[in-house]
Order: sequence, then C-alpha cells, then structure tokens
Amino acid sequence: MKKLLALLLALTMTFGMVACGSKETTDADQTTEPGTMETGDTANTGDTAEGGETTGDATAITIWTYPIGKFGDRDSVNELIAKFNEVHPEISVTLELLDYTNGDTQVTGAITAGTTPDIIMEGPERLVTNWGAAGKMVDLSDLWTDEVKADIEATSPSVVSACQLDGKYYEYPLCMTTHTMAINYEAFEAAGALQYIDEETRTWTTEDFQNALKALKDAGATPVNGIVYCGGQGGDQGTRALVNNLFSGTYTNAEHTEYTANSPENVEALTLLQTLVNDGLLVADPAAQAADELQQFANGTAAMTFCWNASNKAQYAADVSFTPFAMAFPSDDGEPELCGGIWGFGIFDNGDQARIDAAKTFIQFVCDDETQAAASVQMTGFFPVRSSLGNVYASTETEADADEFLTLMPYLGDYYNVTGGWTEQRTLWFNMLQQVFSGTDAQTAADTFVESANANIK
Amino acid sequence: MTQRSNAAASKQPPKLSVHQRSRVLARKETLSAYLFLLPSLIFFLGFVVAPMVMCLVYSFFDMGLNMDEATFVGLGNYFEMFQDAIFRKGFLNTVIIVVVAVPTVTAFSLWVSSAIYQMKAFTRSFYRCVFYLPVVTGTVAVTVVWKWMFNPYNGLINQIFDSVGFNWLGNPKTALACIIMILFTTSIGQPIVLYVAALGNVDHSLVEAAQVDGATKFQVFWKVKWPQIMPTTLYILVITTINSFQCFALIQLLTSGGPNHATDTIMYYIFDMAYKYHRFGYANAMGVILAIIIAIFSAVQFKLAKSET
Repeated sequence: MKKLLALLLALTMTFGMVACGSKETTDADQTTEPGTMETGDTANTGDTAEGGETTGDATAITIWTYPIGKFGDRDSVNELIAKFNEVHPEISVTLELLDYTNGDTQVTGAITAGTTPDIIMEGPERLVTNWGAAGKMVDLSDLWTDEVKADIEATSPSVVSACQLDGKYYEYPLCMTTHTMAINYEAFEAAGALQYIDEETRTWTTEDFQNALKALKDAGATPVNGIVYCGGQGGDQGTRALVNNLFSGTYTNAEHTEYTANSPENVEALTLLQTLVNDGLLVADPAAQAADELQQFANGTAAMTFCWNASNKAQYAADVSFTPFAMAFPSDDGEPELCGGIWGFGIFDNGDQARIDAAKTFIQFVCDDETQAAASVQMTGFFPVRSSLGNVYASTETEADADEFLTLMPYLGDYYNVTGGWTEQRTLWFNMLQQVFSGTDAQTAADTFVESANANIK
Repeated sequence: MTQRSNAAASKQPPKLSVHQRSRVLARKETLSAYLFLLPSLIFFLGFVVAPMVMCLVYSFFDMGLNMDEATFVGLGNYFEMFQDAIFRKGFLNTVIIVVVAVPTVTAFSLWVSSAIYQMKAFTRSFYRCVFYLPVVTGTVAVTVVWKWMFNPYNGLINQIFDSVGFNWLGNPKTALACIIMILFTTSIGQPIVLYVAALGNVDHSLVEAAQVDGATKFQVFWKVKWPQIMPTTLYILVITTINSFQCFALIQLLTSGGPNHATDTIMYYIFDMAYKYHRFGYANAMGVILAIIIAIFSAVQFKLAKSET
C-alpha cells in the first residue's frame, strides 16, 4: 500500500513538473507570436520583462520607460505598440513602466543581474553619461545619418553632442524642452507683484525677484512665497537653475570636464538664498523633493514653483484653482539660461543582434515614421528635436499651453547633464543645499560639493 | 523441485539481527529527513548562504557597474569606511535608533499586553488588531500618511501644536526623533501579539501560589511571570534589534537621509553607495560590518537573557 502511495505521489510530482515545463514553453511560444496576442496582454506580461527572445522569424523585445509625459501611461504606450505591430507584426514588445523614485535602482539591479531590457527611454544623463559610459549600451551611430544630424542640429546642436560620448551615439532623441519655474498669477496680482515680471518675455531680474518676494510676504497672498526643496534629487534641475541664474553662474565649465558650483557667482547666489530663507522670504525644506513642492504650489500654499514644464503643467492641471504662469528663472542681467531636458531611446547591449535590430526598428518607428513621429512627441508633452516636424501642437487642443513653453525655448542654456559623475553629483547637490540652509558657510559647502563631485569624474 | 526451492532460498536476503535492522531503519529515516529538508536547504544555500559569501568576497573588491573590471583592494574598503565621516554619522544614528527603539518597543509592548491579555476574547482581539494594523499596512502607505501629518504647512501635527511652518522632518534636531517614533508605531504590533500569547500561557497555579504566599503584584510579575515569558522577550529583542538596524524604507521615503545626514543610517548609506554611486564593493563591505554588528548585539542579548533565566 505504502509503495503504491509513494508511486502515485512520485507520478503526480513528475506530471506536475512536466506540466509546469509545458506551461513555460507555451508562454514562450505566445511571446513570439505577437500577431495573435493583444498588446495589453503583452504589456502586462511582467515575467518576460527581464529580456526578450528570438525564435524563428519572430522577435520579442522589452521596453522600459520613465514617466515622460504619456510614456508613463500604460494605455497610451500600449496604443503606440499596437500601431507599431500593425506595421511590424513580427516584433512583439513588452512594456514595463518605471518611476523616478525607484527606476534607477531597478535598472542598476537589472544591469548587475544581466536582465536589462532591450530599449530604455530617458535622457542623455542616464543613457549616455551613466550606462553608455559603463559600456552597457549599443552604439546607435547607424541611426544617426547625416540627414538626421542636420535635422536635429537645426533645432539645437547641443542635442547632437549630448547624445554621444567618444564618437558613439548612445541615445536617439525624440523630444526636448526647457525646465522653467512658474508663479501663481492671481497671488502675484493680489500682492501687486506683477510689476516685477515681464509678462511678454516671461523674464525677471534678480532684483525684481527679491522685490516680488517682499511684496508677496507683505500681502500674505499665500502661506509661503516659495519652497527651495532639497530633500532628494527629484527635480534638482529647478534648484540648479535657480542658483546658476541669480548671478549668471554656470554649473560646469564649457567643456563639461569639471563642476563649477563654487564659482563666485554661484556662491553669491547661495548666500542670497540663505539670506532670503533667513528673512522668511523663501522657505528651505530639506524634507521636500520637487513633487512635494509642486503639490504645495498646486494647493495654493506656495506662490511659485521652481520645477515646472509642460508635463508638470498637464499633470497638475486638475489640482490648481489659479493660473500657473510659466516664467524663466530670475537672473542678474535679465537673460536667463534655462536647463534643457532631452528624452529619447537607448538600447542595452544584450548580445542578441536580432533583438538589437528589432529594437532599432521600434525606435525608428516611434521617432522617424512619418505617420507616428509627431504623435510620439505629442505623447511627451514636449517639443520635437527634429526641426522638420515643425510645431506638432499647431491646431491642437494643447496649442496654447505649448506656446507658453515655446516662448521660453530661446533661453535654452548649455546641456551640461553629460558631465562625468552626473549621477553621483545629484546626491551631493541636495546635500550641499541642506548644509547651506542649516547654516554652513556657502563657500565652504560649495567647495566641498565641487571637490567631491569632481572626484567622481572619470 | 527441491533444486528450485533451494535456489529460491539462496536468493532470499540474509536475516538481519534486531540491532542491524534498527540501524538500517535509522539510516532510512535519516535519509528521508534529509530529503524532506533538501528543498528548503537548497533555497537557504542559494538565497541566504551564497549571497552572504558573495557579499564577503565582493567586499574585498573595488567594483562598479562593470563587474569584469573589478579590482582586488583587500581590506581597502574597510579602512575607507572607518575614515568616512558619513558612515560614522550613519553608524551613530543607527545605534541611536536601536538603543532608543528596542527597549521602548519591548517595554511598551509588554505594558500593553499586560493590560489586555486578561480581557475578554473579543476586546483582546480588537486591541491586537488595532496595534497590528500598522504592521500589515504597506510601509509606503504608512509613510505617506505620516508625511502628510508632518507637513510643515498643513499637517496635522503642526495644527495640534499650533506650530504651522515648523518642519519636523526638515529640522536636524527633530528628524531622527520623528523617524524613531514612526518606526516605533510600525514595530509594536508583532511584539504585542507575541506577549499576549506568552502571558496567556503563564502557569496560573504558580501565580496563585505566589499570591497566597503574600507576593505583591510586582513580585508576582518579576519572580513568576517574567522568567516564563523570557524566551518570548528574547525573540522580541532580537527581531526588534534586527528591524531597527535595517530601518531603510522610512528613511528613503521620508528624508533621504537628510537633513544634512541627520537621518542617515548604515542601511541607507549602503543603498546610497550601491545604487547611486555604484560602489558595490564598498557597499558590500558596509553590509559585512552591519551583519557583524547585528550578530554582536544579538549575542549580547542572548547572553544577558540566559543569565536572567
């Protein structure tokens, strides 16, 4: 009897294992037949996200996207993938969405485990400076034809240089924007502070900025004038631009070979911010990141935000009960230099040429296809890097919103995010601001920052 | 026929003595036991022992994203660690968290359990449920609520204390205390459930005997109940110590180690070094040191608890 039971148990286990094995095979087969699979199903298949595969004529690839406009929305990206599959049914695409809080950790984990996706969507600071420099990305030089280069250079030559390192292109860009700040228009109006801004050019001087802060405080239009957030690296482009613009400092040298945040101009700016915080004209919040500050702005608690762009405007549109008015950062000469944002695609080198080719096909469809490229840019809420696409928002519902930010595009400054040690310096930057706002001498804090940041440049 | 029966008899296994049979049986049982253990042993070796060994090995290397470019640095990472001011700050903060949180959690749990373990079953379950809720609620959800409560401009805490604008999590003097307080609320659930069960299992005949002999309430607790719940106390001390040492999510979600490293802990610094600076060797070295510290703390607790009993 015991032997019979043991035999039955063994048979059950054997069949169970065989069944499990069969299921895996079935799943794999399904993945390689995109034509028979709904895109939504593909996108939700988490278990294939570790890497695609090639079987016969079909190729399965994976894409990870950071929340760049609607590229952070599963349904929108699935719709895009469905359009791609109409043209290329032989390639199935599995989607995984990343966020800026944990995304880098997930990618680093995938790199160390050897389970990176085929395609990743983000900016040159990650794709080129970080993963490209570490030799993890595929050289996309073949996509960068002379025609493409000329088209992108016509918009901004800095985009072309930002996407390459040592002659190899690790990013194929789709869109760009300038990061701005924004004010609560009604609060400024109530405080009589509109006189300090140039509404047409959306610029103001450092002196205007200080006067506006005083007017806002005297009027008590909002609980706080503005929050200099330094609780983490999220949205740090805003605090960098604020510091750099106040007295026309630069974040790095022109060659992007060293950080210059301890220059006299930057130290003067940090000292001014320290004074403004001590005088209660601004609040420094070492526990807040940009998302927290944006929420306070949207709530009407703060009269301005230092982290604004078209994407944020769309995201917080439902929360605001006032007019968020996009502005350039205040500068001593009234000529701001705004931080740029460039987003596009890179391919992780997984060693499978068929998957690399399939990934390139997908990227070209999204960025270059005549019927898709403009729609892809619209998904981001930003502006095309290809001059040939023109104004992709013309005659659309969002044309007015886009025009607001188009006005600020001429102030696009140097794209210094490709400086070595970029990832490391981001942590150092918000820690430096925390030191400054907890009373450390601005020069000392900035010197320490620069010394540590430069030490990470390889 | 006779030949056949002789052949069959010669094929039969030789008869074993009782001693031999018991040895065979014991060997079979041992084999069965190992076979039953095998699946969990494989997982234990693969997911606990192997990573520990890898952690130790990697701690002697300077390695970034490219593992194949790793260079052997011997004890270099360890020497660097003790010269690293942020590591020292993180170490100090970690010790403060452990030294404050562990006794507080243990004492408070014991106090609450003493009050509720004799209540009616429904009331007891209600209290256990209330105190256990923060444990089963996701850390992110708990953190979001606390972040809202500590909000300087419209948070509940500032409304209560009439201190609108005070930044509890942004002030170096209060940030760590806030972290410890939140850690406290999320840590007491399990000890309370364990203590309620342990106190319910205390031998009542001994308690009654002590009371008959004229022992005071404190004496009954200290001389009769305490020794009987000591194994539970030891377990609670060890798990609370380990949890406190490994406090990470709260800091990551609330303060990112700030302001000015006021809430940096070893665990958070390990994450920072590994995933922001990509210094995996250095992070592994810190992991080894953290494991050693936890082991020392746990050993001391075992030793003290043993001497108590």
